[in-house]
Amino acid sequence: MFNRGNVLAPSGPLESPAADGPLLRTFLEKRENLLLFLAARTRSLSTAEDLVQDLYVKIAGLDAGADVRAPLALLYRMASNLLIDHVRSAQRSSRRNAEWRLDTRVVQGGEDVVDEPAADEVVASKQRVRLLAEAVAALPPKMGQAFRLHKLEGMSQAQTAQAMGVSTKMVEQHIQAAVRHLTQKLRT
Amino acid sequence: MTYVAAHEEQAMAEASAWLARLQRDEVSEADSLEFDAWLSAGPGNAAAYRQALVVWHEFEVNAGDVIDELAAEQRRVALRPAPSRRWMFGAGAGGLALAAGLAVAVLPGILAQPTTQTYVTGKGQHQHITLADGSVVDLNAESRLSVTLARSERRVVLGDGEAIFDVAHDKQRPFTVAATSRVVRVVGTQFDVRNRQGDLTVTVARGKVQVRPVDAATSGRAFLLSPGQRLDVAQDGAEALRAVDPAEAFSWRSGRLVYRNQPLSDVVADLNRQFVDQIEIGDPELAKIPITGVIVLDDPRAVMSRLTLMLPIRTVPSDRGLLLLRK
Repeated sequence: MFNRGNVLAPSGPLESPAADGPLLRTFLEKRENLLLFLAARTRSLSTAEDLVQDLYVKIAGLDAGADVRAPLALLYRMASNLLIDHVRSAQRSSRRNAEWRLDTRVVQGGEDVVDEPAADEVVASKQRVRLLAEAVAALPPKMGQAFRLHKLEGMSQAQTAQAMGVSTKMVEQHIQAAVRHLTQKLRT
Repeated sequence: MTYVAAHEEQAMAEASAWLARLQRDEVSEADSLEFDAWLSAGPGNAAAYRQALVVWHEFEVNAGDVIDELAAEQRRVALRPAPSRRWMFGAGAGGLALAAGLAVAVLPGILAQPTTQTYVTGKGQHQHITLADGSVVDLNAESRLSVTLARSERRVVLGDGEAIFDVAHDKQRPFTVAATSRVVRVVGTQFDVRNRQGDLTVTVARGKVQVRPVDAATSGRAFLLSPGQRLDVAQDGAEALRAVDPAEAFSWRSGRLVYRNQPLSDVVADLNRQFVDQIEIGDPELAKIPITGVIVLDDPRAVMSRLTLMLPIRTVPSDRGLLLLRK
């Protein structure tokens, strides 16, 4: 996983136009909230971190002279757009990552090293998988079905609702309850 | 219940609600600002939400394995005697309790016997197969493959051979390919699986493909491959992941074999599957010559004359076909 680490400074001087604008100030204050917002729809926290980084770069390049009303709303809108782009270009980005990994493998002593996934994308052991499956199977039927279709099989809320013959609101309530049960049981 | 614990439960309930709400197809600006306000209302909220996220992401990364395990347990339970006692939900001590709602959906599939179809190709024979679910399989020469389309899954077993799979999208029925010591799992993708003498190669052109050891007793780890990635699992278990152009792995379908620094013996083994006239390498040192390039499979004689131009080899006819000797 391409990890760009901590917040990068823009390449220009620190006195760049956007440096003390309201948008950047709001971003720095709300960075964690934006991260948690994106993480609801990304595969891992580190992917969300990458997107927050992209957001920073976008903001740093904007003209701070512009009078930004409702900077927070703008930030969430920009974050949502980045998320949409990310999902759309997932294929292209995974090819870039593959090439990057190829380069780092060569650097590591020329030996052919098995690729490792992002540090926080942990593939669970057989025992842990068993535990996860048991927890899902132990859910009340409707809850379990909604969780299986929406989260495990990857159907959208609307598709899940159609498959189960219920409203999307009902699906959301099932997912909410499932998350509560599963988190309580499986958190470490 | 202490005040703190009640507060934590409340935070977890709200965090779960938020995580579910953020899965909506349309998340409005108002939603996002409300979320922001909730997070900032108190540190307990962000903490609870993060806890839920950890479990949420764990399911995301391991969804395939969890689905397989759920299906496996349902099969185990369905085959036990006196099933009525088992259809109770709620966590029991030890064993896996089934949700009755899920059982109703699964049981007809298990009890109805799905049929298995087997395909075998000979030398030089390619077979283009369209399965009942709309998936397309291109089978290379000297390959053996069986397909079982069941209610909740689509299972392929690839014996010694090679095939390109263009899998029709069906989230309700994962498509699995078992080959030697591994299982390849997809939902709707395009990929090549090559299983020759226990050496396995999986190359992905489209979609995501999971490759994992066939059971707990087999060594190795699970991989999630993306387009442009190739996984090699040698017979001794050594695993290697590379970035490749998937078109190279797929080229046999259009009559071209692509090699990157592979020994002549590999090339000859492949040619011997495609052509009836068998090639034998007379000198063991010749077998090691590294070959890089594209071989067009038009005509055995044309292929061999090109090779003898490029390499220090000459051919003499033998009773099985051709013998390769030093020039």
